[in-house]
Amino acid sequence: MTSKNSQPVLEDVSVIVAGQGGDGSLTVITMLADLFRNVGLNVYTERDVLSRIRGGHAAATMRAFKGDRHCIGSHIDLLVALDEEAVEKNAHQLNSKSMVVFDDSGGPLNPGLLPEGVRLYAAPFNRIAMRTMRRELYKNSIAFGIVGRILGLEDQSMRDTFTKRFQRMGQVILDYNIEALELGLHLADEMGIKHGEGKYRIEQTEPEEHLLLMGNESIAFGFMVAGGRFFTGYPITPSTEVLETLQKWLPRCGGVVRQTEDELAGINMAIGAALTGVRTMTATSGPGFSLMQEGIGHAGSGEVPIVVVDCQRSGPSTGMPTKPEQSDLNIMVFGGHGDYPRIVLTPGHPEDCFYLAFEATNLADKYQCPVFIAMDQALSQNIASVKPFNLDQVQVEPGKRLTAEEVAKLDTYKRYAFSKDGVSAFAAPGTPGGMSLVTGNEHDEFGLVSTDPTNRVKMMDKRFHKIEEAKKELPKGRHFGDKNAPIGFIGIGMMYGVILDAMTHLEKQGFKTQYHQPRTIWPVLDDTLAFIEECERVYVIDLNAQGQLAHILMHQGADASKIISICRYDGLPYRPGYLVNQIVEQEGKLNRDEKKEAKAQ
Amino acid sequence: MTTPPNTKTFTPARPIWCAGCGDFAVQGVLEKSLNKMGIPPHKLMLLAGIGCSGTIQNNLRCYGYHALHGRVLPATIGAKLANPDLTVIAAGGDGDGFAIGAGHLVHTFKSNPSIMYVVMNNSNYGLTKGQASPTSPIGYHDNSEMGLDSILLGLSFLSTTFLARGFSGNPEQLGQLMEAAIEHTQSGKGFAFLEVLSPCVTYYDTHREWRAKVYNVEEDESFDPTNRAEAFQKVIELKEQGRIPIGRILTAEHPSLESIIINKEETLPAQQNISNFDDHRKHYDQFMKAHLG
Repeated sequence: MTSKNSQPVLEDVSVIVAGQGGDGSLTVITMLADLFRNVGLNVYTERDVLSRIRGGHAAATMRAFKGDRHCIGSHIDLLVALDEEAVEKNAHQLNSKSMVVFDDSGGPLNPGLLPEGVRLYAAPFNRIAMRTMRRELYKNSIAFGIVGRILGLEDQSMRDTFTKRFQRMGQVILDYNIEALELGLHLADEMGIKHGEGKYRIEQTEPEEHLLLMGNESIAFGFMVAGGRFFTGYPITPSTEVLETLQKWLPRCGGVVRQTEDELAGINMAIGAALTGVRTMTATSGPGFSLMQEGIGHAGSGEVPIVVVDCQRSGPSTGMPTKPEQSDLNIMVFGGHGDYPRIVLTPGHPEDCFYLAFEATNLADKYQCPVFIAMDQALSQNIASVKPFNLDQVQVEPGKRLTAEEVAKLDTYKRYAFSKDGVSAFAAPGTPGGMSLVTGNEHDEFGLVSTDPTNRVKMMDKRFHKIEEAKKELPKGRHFGDKNAPIGFIGIGMMYGVILDAMTHLEKQGFKTQYHQPRTIWPVLDDTLAFIEECERVYVIDLNAQGQLAHILMHQGADASKIISICRYDGLPYRPGYLVNQIVEQEGKLNRDEKKEAKAQ
Repeated sequence: MTTPPNTKTFTPARPIWCAGCGDFAVQGVLEKSLNKMGIPPHKLMLLAGIGCSGTIQNNLRCYGYHALHGRVLPATIGAKLANPDLTVIAAGGDGDGFAIGAGHLVHTFKSNPSIMYVVMNNSNYGLTKGQASPTSPIGYHDNSEMGLDSILLGLSFLSTTFLARGFSGNPEQLGQLMEAAIEHTQSGKGFAFLEVLSPCVTYYDTHREWRAKVYNVEEDESFDPTNRAEAFQKVIELKEQGRIPIGRILTAEHPSLESIIINKEETLPAQQNISNFDDHRKHYDQFMKAHLG
């Protein structure tokens, strides 16, 4: 018992499993996440892969913690390296207290690769797997036994998780994996890591109920609960899970999911469906979003409600398909030919993805315009603990629809009737008397093609007026930190978790900061501009080369002299430590400049 | 049925086509067929592409939609899948359907949704003043490529169920084909593809040439539209002889797209009352349960 109490209680631990693509890094991380969730900790996982099925360096990371954390931390406590390249690629994230579990089947690890103080546990997992089970595939299940012991997990809980994970793949596969796990536990005994004597002690707490969800799954669920019943998509990383999730769930609610031949069909089939009044969504990534531009503008002109999810990845062109970026902000806000109204929402966490997908589906219906949800690869695919959604809190708000009885009471029905809020009531096909024309051509109130200059201006103004009306209810930003702090942050998507984490580090270093997380970036809302007004200076964190978010804010009247644009576009996700260094450096520079100025005076 | 409301809605436009254009015959036959079959205007969606023919939806009393260039088929399929109770018709020209929209045509042949698609083929781009189109023959303007035959393309998919070609100069047969095509979709049998030879009097007047070249397979007793391989062979032979086959070329059976992907135990997507949140509450709860681990 004395030895047990000397172990630190596990409060925040980061584990990375790295090897070649196909080595099963993600499987290990997913099972660890499940185990930690079961003991009442929150988890956040990330994957780093190449756009191929096998081979190439691949890694998956998991952070388990108490309290609120929404990103991967700056350093790794435990590296599980399935080859030497995995150590080379990830050693920079280790510190003197880190541990490494290494597969030395290919020979002993070059000790020079590790920072001083790192504890190494080496065993030939691959060779053992080949020798005992004739399949290298099981090497990570062997390693799992050691990893679990180090982290202080119960042997039985590991077995349970294995059973849960592998049972559906058949008894043979389950048996082999359990055998591999037992081999790993035995190896751990030999290394002196006995049950209950790991590096950490896990305080078993009454586990709160948590869903493990990636942003894409959460988007799909939000749409479904909002009454979305029609979805089109074409597989593209990193948006595909929206399609896959809805393929599984939407038909149960009577919805239709169609994998189309391309994104052109995707957007146009969605529009065709939306004409009938059904709530409709499509999801894609940058290349597909570019292809959809003509269709999206068409929906803007024809006032067809449509939600488009853009899971941004590194661009331009094919870019780096599996790497996160936020570089489609310009095309979301300014893209397409001609002028048309649109709304761009920006969730920051898988939990928020649900609520904003729900909101987007309501908004598209109410304002009869395209609504975009700006995701990024990390937000789309990283898996996080999410409190079960309170479905009594959300409310489906139908748009202005006319029933047959309502149409019958009208003298005249005009699909594009001018109205106070710019929104025209709509009779869906099938409604007697509601026959109408929908077109992307400029049109009169009936939908008949018109080039009359007066009508043109009125129609254009009507469409844009809807956004002015929508502004009153668009999702406002969230504020974090001290309202009097001189330094402000603005960042969207995955930056939400990173900025919050960086703020705690910065505070320890004496920097007072506050953070405004916009949840709508188009139109730019007053609360975002007011935040910039109130700070001495604001770091706008962009995950692109041109500072697109900073420029959008300045375009809408933010004081440019207050904005310091920080950009990252190397394909890597921001880490709190990286951001902290950037800020500390920048603040140092400002200090020096101030001193210089004072001297000059 | 209750009496239709007296509510005034848009007044159908007058066609923009040149006097003598084949598209007049198509519109006339379409209206007649719909009337004859008793399809009420509020149950009809007519979606059209871009081009001279892509204005037909303005001229009929129904739910009309003007699609983007080449995208009329995906839009039409979207409407049909969202509300299979509607009669959903796509219309367009050969440029819209066989050039910019060719990819979608291929996938519509493949997926077999119960929609009718009328392609008014004038073998040129009339609205942009007569450039060569995918069906123009070698020698038209500077065209050096052999024209595309949509019927042959359709025959090459074992999933096609209705392929026909009509001629605006033979409105009686066109009417029969149109009715059969609509009937095919009404009964949920799948995609009814109807190409209509519809000469352009202004830029490429093929009326006489086509009248001389058409070969009505329905007058050929040896022709069997239920035999795909023979139909394929016959069409190729006729083409090699410089003839253009018209009539019902193929009738076949294959499950329609909507019959496969619509959940028949639930209300149709567009007819669900989304305000009735509790209708699907059990599925929402199941989703969360599945992610609880």
